[in-house]
Amino acid sequence: MPETASLQKRKTGRKRRRAGFDTAFGRAMLQVVAVVAFFAVWEIGVRAGWISAFLVGSPSGIFSVGYKMILSGELVSDTWYTLFEAILGFIIGTIAGSLLGLALWYSVFVARLVEPFIVAINSVPKIALAPIVVLWFGTGLVSKVALSVSLTAIVALIAAYQAAKDADVDLQSLLISMGADKHQVFFKAVVPSTLPSIIATFRINVGFGLVGAVVGEFISSQRGLGHLIYTASSFYDLNTVWVGLFTLMVMGFVLYYVIDMIERVSLPWKQSSTTHQVQV
Amino acid sequence: MQQPPVQLSVRNFQKSFHGKAGEVRVLDDLSFAINERDFVSIIGPSGCGKTTIFNIIAGLLEPDSGAMHYRGEEIESLRGRVGYMMQKDLLFPWRTVLGNVLLGLETRGVDRAEAEARAREYLKGFGLSGFENAYPKTLSGGMRQRVALIRTLIMDPDILLLDEPFSALDYQTRLYLEGVLKDAVETYHKTVILVTHDIDEAVALSKRVIVLSGRPARVKIVHDIEIGATSPIAARGDARFSGYFHSLCAELDIQTEKTA
Repeated sequence: MPETASLQKRKTGRKRRRAGFDTAFGRAMLQVVAVVAFFAVWEIGVRAGWISAFLVGSPSGIFSVGYKMILSGELVSDTWYTLFEAILGFIIGTIAGSLLGLALWYSVFVARLVEPFIVAINSVPKIALAPIVVLWFGTGLVSKVALSVSLTAIVALIAAYQAAKDADVDLQSLLISMGADKHQVFFKAVVPSTLPSIIATFRINVGFGLVGAVVGEFISSQRGLGHLIYTASSFYDLNTVWVGLFTLMVMGFVLYYVIDMIERVSLPWKQSSTTHQVQV
Repeated sequence: MQQPPVQLSVRNFQKSFHGKAGEVRVLDDLSFAINERDFVSIIGPSGCGKTTIFNIIAGLLEPDSGAMHYRGEEIESLRGRVGYMMQKDLLFPWRTVLGNVLLGLETRGVDRAEAEARAREYLKGFGLSGFENAYPKTLSGGMRQRVALIRTLIMDPDILLLDEPFSALDYQTRLYLEGVLKDAVETYHKTVILVTHDIDEAVALSKRVIVLSGRPARVKIVHDIEIGATSPIAARGDARFSGYFHSLCAELDIQTEKTA
């Protein structure tokens, strides 16, 4: 029985591979070691003169600059400002885009009519709109939010429309045979089946929301992490640039897990399938 | 035996589909009648248009020509009045067992509390109490199909359209669910049309079996099954079972030779 034999082999092979560091604690340790080693090499390299502190900054310098900025309240206010712009842009863009994408399900005629326009809009790199957006919406908060919306809305629209098109036809037929009308098919079959795709775009769009906010601040602004990074880099103040970048990284990191939590709460029926992966 | 009155009659159904290879005629002048409280199985070569018949009756498709009469009245379709069950259980994955059972009552706008009470009663009757809040993916195939059956029955449909409902299940589960179905049909006084490619199942469950010819589908012959056993398992033990089985096999065999 060659089939049983190969199954057996795979089983034992998997067992062997999972041993050692492949536990939650082991992985966390390896991750911490990697981060510490990275900064240690960086710091040693700068102190020993192998790499230029002028061009790359240094971990100790970043730490002291960051500490000072936290104490002065400057970092906190810039962080909140950028976070606010990004989240506002993300929420408006994702909701508007998703609603439009879902609405296109209602009329095949309208959907076919606007499809090339959606593709055309999507193929413009939205970042290129930044100068115009600043011209239109000024140098304040609105222009950053508008840029974030332009980035996130199109992603949400395309994902929602595609998911609505792909919604299981048999489930819709079943509802129709039960006497459901178009609204009921939409709300009972189409909308719930698009939710996983829509929530999947949250992950991408949280990042795009930040991109919009930061790029908007690069172009013109008086506040925010983008402004901080841009001005500091023009003074070759690399440590301050790194403080801004690491803050953005932490922000994106936290937002990612917030989305993860939203996904778990809103899609309880999807759970447990995602934790298993076929071992090859 | 006195003939019960006709509940649903299908007359001269014709239906063609336009595919890449040109026009495909699926139904050609198809007529049959379903009596009150009938249990009719439709068997025929695969791809002969059995599902198309159901889709027309359920109002998901329109025939090119032909008429349908329900208790003597001409109707367009039985949309909203049929209980359609397919090979896939088609449970909504984001709804719990209770939510799935409530689906039809919700579309009908039945009062929530009343609907829930009825759903819990049905779930209990089918041995599924305790699973109200489980999601479909946590259930076995047999349990899922039982939930689908409850979802169908709770709407109190005029006619059950069962499209190979048990063909994806293992044999033991199938036997068990055939029994559950037969009991439910008796309890709730339902009329059933069952599409199956399982001759064994058709003989064990039905009062009549309609044999269709290959595409385009026409009624080749209608067999009355006069076993009248209390359960599908008992029916398989009946002395006449194998006789029916072999004559139906013969009908189908001749056609496969013809179409091949």
